[in-house]
Parts: sequence; structure tokens; C-alpha cells
Amino acid sequence: MAEKLLLAIAAHGATAARWRGSRLADCQAFANDAGGLAVFKEYLAALPDVPAHVMVDAVEEDYRFETLPHAYGSDRVQMATRKLKQHYRNTPYMTAWRLGRETGKRRDDRYLFSALTNPDLVTDWLEAIVARGLPVSGVYLLPLVTASLPEKLGATATSLLVVAQHSGGLRLTFFRDRQFRLSRLTRGESGRADSRSRYFAEEISNTRLYLHALRTLTLDEHLSVLLLDRSDELGEVAQGIARENPSLDCVRVGRRDLAAKLGIAEPLLDVSPYVLYLQLLGLKLPESNLAPETVTVGYRRYQTRRGLYAACAGVATIGALWIGSNLSQMFGYQGDKENVVRQTAQLTRQYQEVTRQFPAAPASADNLRKTVELAQELRKTVRTPGTVMALVSRALETNPNIVVKELDWKYGVTEISAERGSASAPGATAPPASTPLPGSPAPAGARRQSALIDGEIRPFDGDFRRAITTINDFAARLGKDPQVAEVRVIKLPLNVNPTQPLVGNTLDSPDQNATADFKLVLVLKPDA
Amino acid sequence: MTRADFEAVRNPLLALGAILLGVAAGVYYTDQLAIGAGRDLKQHEIQLKDARTRLHRSGDEKDLIVRYLGSYQQLQKRGFAGDEQRINWLDALRTTNQQVDLFGVDYDIGSQKPYPFAAALNPGSIQLRQSVMKLRFRLLHEEDLLRFLDVLARQGTGIYTVDQCSLKRLDTRGVIRYQPNLAAECELAWITASTSATPEKKP
Repeated sequence: MAEKLLLAIAAHGATAARWRGSRLADCQAFANDAGGLAVFKEYLAALPDVPAHVMVDAVEEDYRFETLPHAYGSDRVQMATRKLKQHYRNTPYMTAWRLGRETGKRRDDRYLFSALTNPDLVTDWLEAIVARGLPVSGVYLLPLVTASLPEKLGATATSLLVVAQHSGGLRLTFFRDRQFRLSRLTRGESGRADSRSRYFAEEISNTRLYLHALRTLTLDEHLSVLLLDRSDELGEVAQGIARENPSLDCVRVGRRDLAAKLGIAEPLLDVSPYVLYLQLLGLKLPESNLAPETVTVGYRRYQTRRGLYAACAGVATIGALWIGSNLSQMFGYQGDKENVVRQTAQLTRQYQEVTRQFPAAPASADNLRKTVELAQELRKTVRTPGTVMALVSRALETNPNIVVKELDWKYGVTEISAERGSASAPGATAPPASTPLPGSPAPAGARRQSALIDGEIRPFDGDFRRAITTINDFAARLGKDPQVAEVRVIKLPLNVNPTQPLVGNTLDSPDQNATADFKLVLVLKPDA
Repeated sequence: MTRADFEAVRNPLLALGAILLGVAAGVYYTDQLAIGAGRDLKQHEIQLKDARTRLHRSGDEKDLIVRYLGSYQQLQKRGFAGDEQRINWLDALRTTNQQVDLFGVDYDIGSQKPYPFAAALNPGSIQLRQSVMKLRFRLLHEEDLLRFLDVLARQGTGIYTVDQCSLKRLDTRGVIRYQPNLAAECELAWITASTSATPEKKP
């Protein structure tokens, strides 16, 4: 738990304590005068920047238990604020503590409205703290700090009255089912030891009457009194109370028990009667903070700063863990890699040992095999013009008038270029194989044989009709061969294309130089 | 939030920002280191697997060498495996010309280039290259072209494919005597195979 400053303010002065770890480290009392305030300022000057928690023990306190209609959010805040302003007009130190809900049909909200009606009591002390720059978390009434005392002391009574001698009087705080219900601070001195017992008994009786008047506790109801005796001097008082009020169950908690059960160093109990309350304040802050926003703004900023620094620490921790995890993973991988490298080297050595017994080879086994297989594959792809020449030769046997002047052959992905256009010549009868035969198209990228045949009709007597018929017959015969994919006549002796002009003379007779030239393209199937 | 509120938390905010940046950078950097180390490990594991497989298959490898070494050496001798043997090609042309009784062969060999149809053969690490040889010669008869190509192939000086050929009848004016009747032009692709990797040296 972080270091903090705890301050108990009473009418006669203040008691300051430094909280370190989980207990009070030191404690000092200051008088409520100029000298005491000056010493307090010096005390503050020596402190580090720690938050301050302030507690007030004063007669000028007020508690009101009330119920309000159940509401949520801002409605609830506005309603409680309005109620506070109705009750307490002259003090900024007031608060509304929502205790829970009624068990009735309306299930209204139960509130404890409390206030310090004399703000001047704390003004000087708070100004000194704010001037020092310490953040004030809040201002709390001492009886509400005492709320955790019964549990700490193990008091289980249903109706419990905690009684303690303070410097300004006797503080009597009543708890019902460990819940705060009422507290009063009596003025006056306890006097001599013999009258002290009577004084305590009277104040307890007065308190019972007051509780009865408030209908909080009936007079015949059993009441347990917890007498806080920090100086071990109230033994006779406890006996006197028990003697004078047989219906009371009075338990005295002595110095040693207080120190042990609350975790306070015994010598500190001598400093001030507020030491044990400061210990309770250090352990747990009550929910009912009286201080207005103007007082606690510094503490809000302080908490925001602390939250941000805590976030820094959290982020740094998570980052460090994450980075550590990554590094651990990386080192793990590196370790595994070294093992793998070692195993690989070992296997490589074994392999080299084995390969020493292999016959000397100019290349790896795979490359030897691949090279031989490639040679076999390449030999399968070799083609020569022989196939086309044989096809043409067979076709010429039935067409003796056709003379081949030139034969161009190609084995490639694209067919041979028919330099003067590839469109079929008009008038040429498309042979059966002039269009790709079913199943004959070459797959993309496959090579196939093609040829361009440049020939003529010889002898030619000028009969173009017969010449064209002969050429078409020749093409048709070529196309009938199962190895042929396509035959395309691209030039005929006479151009009868209707888009082209045709000029001649019917009286012209063919002489010896007259020719009937033609060209055709022959394409074989890919597997030919 | 007022200006005073912001002033109060400015330093912690700056610290938080700096730490966030530092942590992000550190996490990213170390994450990359871990990823890199993981990738490196995987590569070495693949190498280990290869080494293990290679060792296990060393018996098969020996069988392959015994089985294919003779054929490979034959291909080396023929000039298919290894470097080009252009002198051998010219010798083969000369010999073929004599055996087929041609009237001489003009040749023109281009520079060596990658074999364009290699991908269809899936050569793996073997590099197939070709040198295109253009031939021009004259023939007595069409059959001589086929005889020429057949005899050239049987010279055993390498592997070639015929890409193009053209035959053109020469004008002999009807004179019948021992003279060329046809002009031929052919394009041959001489193909060689070489390994890209350094051949394994055996002791």
C-alpha cells in the first residue's frame, strides 16, 4: 500500500500520522493554535508528495437517515444534492451515502445524509495541506470511519455502543447489525477516577434514552458496550458500568488488544486517542466523503496520474513479457536449428561415405537419367518432309497433268506462310478435308507439319474450267489421307472473285507459253 | 477536462505514449526475429529431410548411375550431352555430301540459343540449347533430300530436328544429263543438353 498522510482534526488540535506499508509509521499531535499550525506546516514540508486523508471529530456534526424514491444516474445525484442543500445551507462539507433499498413495496432508496456544520474547524489545516501541494482525497467524519471497528475487534452484538474517551469529550457511536446508526460527542471532562465511572454510565444512559426517543432502540433491549481503553485506565469504569446497568453487556478492550487487533505499535497509542481511528482510516476509506470537488480536485488529478503511471507499468510489463516470449521463441528456434544443422551434416557425411562406392559419373544420377530421357523424347519429335512428299506423290499418280514446281515444308507451331494470302481461292471447291477434321485441331503450342505446294497444269489448253476441276480433284485427293488435317487452295489459274476485275479476250488462243498456275496449303495432323 | 487537468497528466501521458511506442517497436522487432528464426528453422528442416531422403535413396541413385551412365557417355560422345561439337557437324556434312553424291552443301550456323520447345519436355535442371543451321544444296532428284537427311542423322554427330525445307525445280531447258534438277534449302536445329549445376565429382 502506498505511503500517505492521515490527519485527524478535532476542536483542540490535530493528529497527523504517516502511513507506510500497511500500518502507521509515526504519529504527531499539533495544537489548534498558531504555533501548532506552524509546526504542522513544517511537518508537511518534510513529507514527500503523498495523498492526504482527513478525518474530523467534532460536536458540530449531523446525521440524517432518510428515504428517497428510487432513481438512477443523474436523477439520483440531483435528488440527493437537492436534499443536501435543503438540510445544510451553511457548509460545503456534506455528503449523501446511499445505504441500500427499503424492503417495502416502493423499495425506496435509503440514504445517510451527514455534514460537518462547522467548516472553520478544518479550514486552516486543509489550507496548509493544499498550500504544500498534497492532494486531499476527502474529509470524513470520525464515527463513519469507526464503522469498520466492530468487525476488527470481533464484536458480534446486534446492538453495539462503542465508547471511547477523546480529548474533547466522550464519543459514543451506536451500531445496529454492524451498521452505523448514531454517534454523539459529549462535551466535558471525565474528572477524577471515582466520578469517571458515573460520568460514563450517565452518558451511556443518556444515549440509550436518545436512541429510545429516536425509536432506534427500546430501553429494555439488550445493548453491548464496547469500551475502548487505550491507556488501560478504564477497568474500574467498565466494572462500574456493569454494576450500575445490569442490562448492559460491557466489554473493555485494553491497550494490548487494541494494538494487536488493529495492528498498531503500542507506543503510538500514547500519542493521541485518534491513533486507532487513523489506523482504521489508513486501512479503508469510508464512502461518505464530505469534501467538495474544489478540495479533492488535486486528488483526482493525483489518481489520474497514478492510473496513467500504473498503465505505463502495465504496458511495460506486458511488453516485457511479450518481448521475452518472442525472444524465448527465437532462441528455441535457434536451438532447434542447430540440432537440425548438426543432423543434416551427419547425414551428409554418411551420404558422402556411401557415394564413394558409386561408379564415377560426369553428372548426378538424376541428370544422367534426365539427359538420356530427353534424347529419347527429342528423337520422337523429329520430322522430315518425307511424309508430305509421299502424300503429294500419291496424289499426283491420279493427276498426271499436275506439275509441282516448288514445295515448301515446315514443322512448327504455326503453319507455313502462304505468302500471297491464305484465303481460299474463289471457285475452288473445298475438298472434304479443307476444314479441320473432327479431333484434328492441334493443342495450343503443339508443332505440326504444313506445306505450300506451288504447281501448274501442263499441258494447258486454255480450258480454265477443266483446269480448276483438276486442281480441286488434286486437293480433294490430298485431303482424303487420314494424316491430313486441312487442304486449302489459295490460288487458281483464273481469279473469278466477284470483288476483283477480270480482263481477257475470247479470241485469244493459248500458245505454248500459256500456264495454269495454282497454290495450295497442306496441313497435317499434329501426330503425323 | 480543464487546462490544469491536462497539465497535471501531461507527463504521464507522454510517458505512456513513449512506453507504448517502445513496447510496440520492441514487440514488432522481436516478433520479426522470431518469425525469421522460425523460417530459418523450416528451411533447415527441409534440408534435413532432403538429406535424409537422399541417404535413404542412395541405393536407388547407384542403380540409376549404373543404368544410365553408358547411354549418357554415348550421348556425350555424339555431342548431345555437353558442349556443341560444330567441327563434328561439318565433318558429318562433308561425309554425307560424298555419300549421297550431292553437288556440294552451303551451310550457315547461327549462334546458340535456348531451345524454344524445351518446356514441353520438362527438362528440370538440364538446359537444352539449339543452334540453327541453314543448308543450301542442289539435288538430282527429290529422293536425294530424304537420303541426305537420313545419312546425316546416321553420322552420329548429335541430335537435330528439321524445322523447314523447300524444294524448287530448276529450269533445265529439257536437257537430259547429269546435272542438278532441284534446289533445296533446309533449316536444322542442332540440340545440346547441359547441366546447370556443377557435375558431381566422384572420387
